[in-house]
Amino acid sequence: MILLAKLGIGVLVAGAVVSSEGFIHVKVHEKQPNGTKVNLFVPAALATTALHFVPGRDLKARDSAELRSCLPLIEAAIPALYRSPDGVLVEVKDAHDHVLVQKIGGSIVVDVNDSEDMVQVSVPLRAAQSAIHQIAEANSPN
Amino acid sequence: MNTKNKSLLLVAGFSALSVFTLSMRTAFALSASPTRYLHVRVSNPATHELVRVNVPLTLAEKVIPAINHGQLRDGKVQIGNFRAENVNIHAILDVLKNAPEGNFVTVQDTGDDVRVAKERSQLVVHVSDKNSGENVDVTIPWDVAQALISDTNEDQLNVEAAVKALQNVDDTTLVRVSGRGENVRVWIDSWNTDAQ
Repeated sequence: MILLAKLGIGVLVAGAVVSSEGFIHVKVHEKQPNGTKVNLFVPAALATTALHFVPGRDLKARDSAELRSCLPLIEAAIPALYRSPDGVLVEVKDAHDHVLVQKIGGSIVVDVNDSEDMVQVSVPLRAAQSAIHQIAEANSPN
Repeated sequence: MNTKNKSLLLVAGFSALSVFTLSMRTAFALSASPTRYLHVRVSNPATHELVRVNVPLTLAEKVIPAINHGQLRDGKVQIGNFRAENVNIHAILDVLKNAPEGNFVTVQDTGDDVRVAKERSQLVVHVSDKNSGENVDVTIPWDVAQALISDTNEDQLNVEAAVKALQNVDDTTLVRVSGRGENVRVWIDSWNTDAQ
């Protein structure tokens, strides 16, 4: 009985840790008949942890200097964005395409809806910051 | 002290604590200013194109100093080209600061109408291009104009300070471009959407 209780607590703690940074949600819906429909929820903590196991060479950007120059901007933007109220940040619309970038809760949600596909990607801001740090480290000059 | 009195004291204590907490929260809510937004809307009725950007000014305040790219460095933008054309923004704003309200420049010819004025503590620029049918209206609150030239040399404009100054400006349209093609509007208010 005690063992089961410990196991239960362990599962709860693991669940809490895994979901602590929120979930990355990717939804893809091809509009053609029999088109692919993907609906993927990945705990953001798992994604950022997985980055630790990616070889550094695979995280190297084509222009690492440009990436490093953008880092202070990202460092400033993400915490400020996190504290900002929810709402539409950018919307671009024409006769065929519709792109929407919103801040919802602690996540950035990007919706792209064109004549062929409907794609929605939701990324928790904290996870994005953590991932960008790891990629930047992999691209440091040393 | 008997049990009844203890209970009464406990209830009174909790009530006082609740009232204090509630009043603190109310005071905080009243003192907290709403987030101000810079909105940009570009629309083209002919092509049904629409671009909407809604940026919280607090976000812009943090991001602008972090941009060190091209002409924008440390929250200040280099305006070297203006000087090359013998237009010294600093000097103009310094003169306008002490000038009385009214029209400063009015140009009317067959092609364009141009008017530069100081109205209700705002710098107002109106340009009308008769050939293209395009009208441009720029309204810069005076505090923002002053912030633009604060802590800068002659070749710079302080964008970071201007964004900070915009926080204290009433809801207003800063730029409006209207014509036969695209319509552009840049304005600030406290709404997180541009539907207002």
